[in-house]
Amino acid sequence: MSASARVLEEIHRARRPMRFLGASGQLGYGIPTPAFNGGLARRPDLIGCDMGSIDIGPTYLGKGEMATAPVATRRDLRKVLLGARSIDVPLVIGSAGSAGAGPHLDATLALIREIARAEDLHFRMGVLRADLPRDGLRTAVRAGAVSGIDDMPTLTEEEVTEAAHIVGQMGMGSFRRALAEDVDVLIAGRACDTAIFASLPTMLDFPIGLSVHMAKIIECASLCCLPGGRDAILATLDDDGFVLESMAGQRRATPVSVAAHSLYEQADPYTVYEPEGCLDLSAAEYAAVDDRRCRVAGARWHVSTDPCVKIEGARRIGERAVLLAGAADPRFIAQHRDILPTVATVVRDLVCEDAPEDYTLRFRVYGVDGVRMAAPAGEALPSEVFIMGECIAPTADRAAEVVRTLKQYLLHHGYTGRLSTAGNLAFPFTPPEVSLGPAYRFNVYHLLHTPDPDALFPLEVEAL
Amino acid sequence: MKLADIAQVIRSKNAGPRRLTLDLMFTTDADYQRVVQSPSLSSENIGARYGMAADDVTVIPYPAGRAIKIVLARPIMAGDPGDRDVYGAQQHAPLLEVEI
Repeated sequence: MSASARVLEEIHRARRPMRFLGASGQLGYGIPTPAFNGGLARRPDLIGCDMGSIDIGPTYLGKGEMATAPVATRRDLRKVLLGARSIDVPLVIGSAGSAGAGPHLDATLALIREIARAEDLHFRMGVLRADLPRDGLRTAVRAGAVSGIDDMPTLTEEEVTEAAHIVGQMGMGSFRRALAEDVDVLIAGRACDTAIFASLPTMLDFPIGLSVHMAKIIECASLCCLPGGRDAILATLDDDGFVLESMAGQRRATPVSVAAHSLYEQADPYTVYEPEGCLDLSAAEYAAVDDRRCRVAGARWHVSTDPCVKIEGARRIGERAVLLAGAADPRFIAQHRDILPTVATVVRDLVCEDAPEDYTLRFRVYGVDGVRMAAPAGEALPSEVFIMGECIAPTADRAAEVVRTLKQYLLHHGYTGRLSTAGNLAFPFTPPEVSLGPAYRFNVYHLLHTPDPDALFPLEVEAL
Repeated sequence: MKLADIAQVIRSKNAGPRRLTLDLMFTTDADYQRVVQSPSLSSENIGARYGMAADDVTVIPYPAGRAIKIVLARPIMAGDPGDRDVYGAQQHAPLLEVEI
């Protein structure tokens, strides 16, 4: 019998509170061993890790690459695999490989198979894929079953076709289907982070609202604590609430720190939307058990009459190259708002002599307005600035041509009152032009309205 | 008094690639009450600091966490050409100097 069946049968036979170990909010960036081992000693019924996010931007999804380093990812996967197998409980990982599309999931599975071979581990592994078939999506677009999130423009069939990868965020239903298949390890592509922890208890009729609220908190490991951190966290769930306890002694889960966590990366602190319904935290209550444990109750669940799946896609928009340079001349800095567009025109006239203007060139001037989305006018200028010139062009060669030409003409541009006639820029190293590979943008960030979200995400079971 | 001298946390982050969420957290209920009642945190005043219309700003008091959430529509979607802050983690600076 595999771990999921064993735990389901054990709790079904003799109902008791369940324990969940949130091992990592971002697998691949290191899992502190003392807290993780402390969590294992508490005999959790499930170990879960989130591995991805949309926060990292469109390029990982588009390129099919992980954000984490392979060696660090392998180290973390090995730790949680060995831990889960040592106590025979399900290991559940969501949003595999940072963005959860096919290449990310396959790279994660390859690491797991390699670890299993090296460590002589044998287990049943459920795999849930998150890539959405394009034909079905184009049909849904035509049928008006796709709507934009947060004023995202209406999705077109052309955008569906052009996206490098499109994934859907699977929810609890898909995970429950996998956990019912007698698995030890469950690896999901792009997934709701709550599904990692809320699926198993809701199979055993623990209240959905409490299960999802607990999951929403512990998927970030000990981030809800004071001080927040990435150490493993243990949640103990019963029919009326759950208790949170960080597995790192110095991290305290306090009523205010836990309540405040529901603000994190959420536009609405009282409502969390999931494919099957929404979590309502308006009546949630947070109470201290002792100095470092917090009991949470009161979350409610409202089943949706319009089930929908968040879909994410990234489209290649060209090749990116940048110029990196500093400047410390006060006259150059004072005139940079005129100098940069003037030099951009010089560059355009040169590189477009026998070619169309097929690229974009943008500047960020760090020290002035490189960071803030709306820097106020009239601020005093700094004594040094860092300038990044960013070109996106159809080919890598074209992008490199633009930033290399830019480098030369910005370096030697003669502006009014110039004293430093040997050069305007300081390069921290050469070459100061860097080719960054393909650039992507999110072209899909929508809801797919579908009566059966779980049917979108196929399950495979593999015996290792 | 400036917001940076009252708040325990002033932070920003994406809430999805098209929204920014700014969280203000306070150590005491008195600090929270003082700020939540201040006209400085109206949608109009916050919008003015971010160069956007009041309609693109939502202010949500959250007493259970002694916190105030401000949600802004991002002028550029995260990671789109021209974006300056893919994670949105450094857009809190305009709030630091708000007079309460």
